[in-house]
Amino acid sequence: MSTPVVFDPMTLPSDDNVNSYTFCVELKGSQWFLQKGKMIAYYGRIDFNGIGHGRFERLIRTSFHSPLHASDWVVAEGSGKMLLADRAFDVNSYDLDEGNLTIRSGNLLAYQPTLALKQSIVPGFLTLIGTGKFVAASNGPVVFMEPPLRVDPQALVGWADCPSPCHHYDHGYMTGVLGGLRSLTGIGGTSGEEHQFEFVGAGTVLLQSTEVLMAEQPTGAVPGQPGVPPGAGQPGATPRMPGQLGDLQRRFGL
Amino acid sequence: MPFREINSKMVEATVVPGQKMYSQRGAMLAYRGEVSFTPNIQGGQGGLMSMIGRRVAGEATPLMTVEGSGTVMFGHGGHHIQVINLAGDTLYVEADRLLAFDGTLQQGTMFMGSQGGVMGMVRGQVSGQGLFTTTLQGHGAVAVMAHGGVIELPIVPGRDVHVDPQAYVAHHGDVRNKLSTALGWRDMVGRGSGEAFQLELSGSGAVYVQASEEKL
Amino acid sequence: MFRLQGSRTLAVDLAGDAVKAKNGSMVAYDGRMTFKKMTGGGDGLRGMVTRRLTGEQMSVMEVTGQGTCYFADRASEISLVSLHGDKLHVEASNLLCTDSGLRTGTTFTGLRGGASGNGLFTTTVEGTGQVAIMSDGSAVALRVSAQYPLFVDPGAYIAHQGNLQQHFQSGVNFRTLIGEGSGESFQIRFEGEGVVYVQPSERNTIGGDV
Repeated sequence: MSTPVVFDPMTLPSDDNVNSYTFCVELKGSQWFLQKGKMIAYYGRIDFNGIGHGRFERLIRTSFHSPLHASDWVVAEGSGKMLLADRAFDVNSYDLDEGNLTIRSGNLLAYQPTLALKQSIVPGFLTLIGTGKFVAASNGPVVFMEPPLRVDPQALVGWADCPSPCHHYDHGYMTGVLGGLRSLTGIGGTSGEEHQFEFVGAGTVLLQSTEVLMAEQPTGAVPGQPGVPPGAGQPGATPRMPGQLGDLQRRFGL
Repeated sequence: MPFREINSKMVEATVVPGQKMYSQRGAMLAYRGEVSFTPNIQGGQGGLMSMIGRRVAGEATPLMTVEGSGTVMFGHGGHHIQVINLAGDTLYVEADRLLAFDGTLQQGTMFMGSQGGVMGMVRGQVSGQGLFTTTLQGHGAVAVMAHGGVIELPIVPGRDVHVDPQAYVAHHGDVRNKLSTALGWRDMVGRGSGEAFQLELSGSGAVYVQASEEKL
Repeated sequence: MFRLQGSRTLAVDLAGDAVKAKNGSMVAYDGRMTFKKMTGGGDGLRGMVTRRLTGEQMSVMEVTGQGTCYFADRASEISLVSLHGDKLHVEASNLLCTDSGLRTGTTFTGLRGGASGNGLFTTTVEGTGQVAIMSDGSAVALRVSAQYPLFVDPGAYIAHQGNLQQHFQSGVNFRTLIGEGSGESFQIRFEGEGVVYVQPSERNTIGGDV
């Protein structure tokens, strides 16, 4: 551990972790969707193209359904090995086999185009459907748990195969005598745990080891129709980086 | 042992009826079963007076009581967690580093000035963490947070350990602390700066030091 | 003499000898230690002036004593590199500790910093001995050889050693359908024979955008 192992293109793992924070993707003439700014190094001949590039029209039609943040993604294609990482957060890959997994938008780093990316009905989350591999980051290692379970909203990374969560409120706290006293006097304060996401049914819940969120990626606005829950991450929610045009850029991303 | 280390940043605690547990507010990540989280109106044991004492002392730890039956996952701020088991001895720890601990442990606040005299008083100001330090005594486990993980350094008689006050996390055992300055240290960091002092620990026990000069 | 305690704390056993370390990175020690501030990275007046000009600020202390001294900096992961008469190039902010027998200096590394705003000049460490470099997350060491050139994001680069040439290139085509770009992105291409160290995190650069 002390003196790092020196890797070359032959010894780097193929589609596996190099260490807890770095993932190596092997391209053999294939393509991957990649969130911008997550590639740290690569060997070989790999081209990176903005997702708005005309050639990808067909690819995007089948695999990319979150149009309003298209400019935050690039397509990597070619042959070689590339290393992905995100601000020294833990990274992991996940394999889906005719499955679906919903993940917090900021945590998704990259995915194979055999998967389709869609906006979740839960604001701020994206759903991946199909068969293939994707790479996601988490603040601390991801822990897999099975329902029934109540989760602090900020510690939730995502969930697979189980029904969407519902809200759970600690009513003992809200209505009890002590609670009333607290709300009157302000003494004692809140425990900060009055509200959780509750998961029931069969499936897997993904949890990160901290309640500190990673930066959200806007998932794009949803049509303002009756019966459609409003989305999170509306334009203007994220600070604008120099050189970016913010929502204008996003709007013209495609 | 009520804490199971799931990974370096998350611990799982088993809560059984009749056995309380205290944790930092907002540090619960998930739970199973029927568990209630109540903000600690009296700041642990010792009643209202103790709470006021804490307020004055600036050691008002926002704690909550965890009761019921089930399992609870704790983690906070992406910090590394160190579980320290106590077998009758006393752990000295800055209150804001406490993630969770057994309710059976006797909680107290110690005026650091009572150890090490005037210099001990200065220590509180130096590390910016108040003159008061939380003490936990008895048999049980404590989960302590640190930035970047901790190393445990043994303190044995005749081999004093000097610690950067910013990197100090906790210590236990029969240990005396005082402030000292190494040769050349003050010239280097500047006289005006609080870092001109180092915490000198002597006696027998162990000190936990984090891999960072960042306070929590 | 250098050993790691965990992955984020460096323990150095000293028996009357000295090491150079990043100022303020001492977290604990036992035994007796003396600390001396070194201006200009120990390269004398000329080195200091170069540093002033280049903006590659590195404030270094020399630690001498008997016992064990522990170093850590902002929870960074630490990697040990052994030098046998060769030269290590490292970003000043990623250098934690060196044997006192090693010479440190500053070199101009070309255009790399041109757009990224960092690393126009890097620190060089030369001689025989051990160096502790740090990274945000565990560093990955990547070999560069004649048949395998390597492309690195400027923000993830921390160090390299060996006989390497670096070229700065604009790598990514962000051209979109309507011709609006979202900024260009740059990469460093390493060629030759050697090893490059990258970290799983990116410093803020204007360049690396992939």
